[in-house]
Amino acid sequence: QEQEQSSGSGSGSGSDSGSGPDSGSGSARPQPLEPSLLRFLVCPLSKRPLSRYEESTNELINEELGIAYPIIDGIPNMVPEAARRTHTKAPAEASEQP
Amino acid sequence: LWRSRCRVLLSRPAAAPRARRGLAAGPEMHFGFQTVTEEERREKIYQVFENVAKKYDVMNDSMTLGIHRVWKDILVHKMNPCPGTLLLDVAGGTGDIAFRFINYVRSVRQRQLQRKLKHHQNLSWQEIFESYQNDKFNNSLGDSQVVVCDINREMLKVGKQKAQHLGYSEGLSWVLGNAEELPFDDDKFDVYTIAFGIRNVTRIDLALQEAYRVLKPGGRFLCLEFSHVSNPLLSRLYDLYSFQVIPVLGEVIAGDWRSYQYLVESIRQFPPQEELKAMIEDAGFFKVDYENLNFGIVAIHSGFKL
Repeated sequence: QEQEQSSGSGSGSGSDSGSGPDSGSGSARPQPLEPSLLRFLVCPLSKRPLSRYEESTNELINEELGIAYPIIDGIPNMVPEAARRTHTKAPAEASEQP
Repeated sequence: LWRSRCRVLLSRPAAAPRARRGLAAGPEMHFGFQTVTEEERREKIYQVFENVAKKYDVMNDSMTLGIHRVWKDILVHKMNPCPGTLLLDVAGGTGDIAFRFINYVRSVRQRQLQRKLKHHQNLSWQEIFESYQNDKFNNSLGDSQVVVCDINREMLKVGKQKAQHLGYSEGLSWVLGNAEELPFDDDKFDVYTIAFGIRNVTRIDLALQEAYRVLKPGGRFLCLEFSHVSNPLLSRLYDLYSFQVIPVLGEVIAGDWRSYQYLVESIRQFPPQEELKAMIEDAGFFKVDYENLNFGIVAIHSGFKL
């Protein structure tokens, strides 16, 4: 019954208004992240803001701890167990591949 | 067989009250009527919801005869959100609360716009033009937003599909996260809801602390959950229905007796109204209160961060 949406209800992607940094990505397969989410998201371990969204690997990076959280089907996976280490020298948290 | 087993477990003096409070007082915790370690409990609960995700809504309708819809409506009405509200719906997997929230603020917004229009009948065209320029609330939700957070990927998938199917896209986002360790900044949200989810959290105290942390000062905590029926006759009927009918429905509809057995057992293990109220107060909330629905089969707890 909810037909009067202002944006993209017919398309299957996760993005909303076209103003985010990732709306112009070429490949349709990795679903882009909802841009407004980046306002609220922090690293669940450090509770500090995330450094950036990495478009090539579709991950959210926390440079401080050297970890990256994957985004699968447009849903960021923000549990510590899913984080991947981005550097060779390990931070305190052990992490594993999702 | 299970009935004698559960009677034995319930009569255990030390483990039962500690387990009921949902704190990891020792390595042992309850999973329904079983005793398991904290890690096992998390895994088992994850599997339960992984299994039931696709049939979750159907099962809710069958088990509660559709009444769960009314409970959720009451929750959102109690919330009474105005346009511009930022909601965090935790354990909100399939989106029931999120969709209701969106419907509610949209209709409030529509009434607001209609009232504005009536005002504008006596204005000049220039004044009307200027008022549209100044109006920051250009979208139909009035900048309201809901973030749905759940620990289970399957539940979120179902929720996202439902959203697409029903046409919800604006003001809605999905995050995979742990209620005990939320990936959100402090003092961010106006309202935090957790509907039929807190029962499945392993460390309820941590989840409540996190709820307190992410709420803005003045923000509201709302919890909708199965609770305890004090009326003895009703309690017996409720037990009968729970233990005789629900697991059977689970097997017939979802092909999964065990998960629904867990469900009814976990309701019995969950703290009753007053105890949950105390736990919420312990987390720092003020004006904590609860409202029984259907004689305590379900209760809505509410608290404020001041």
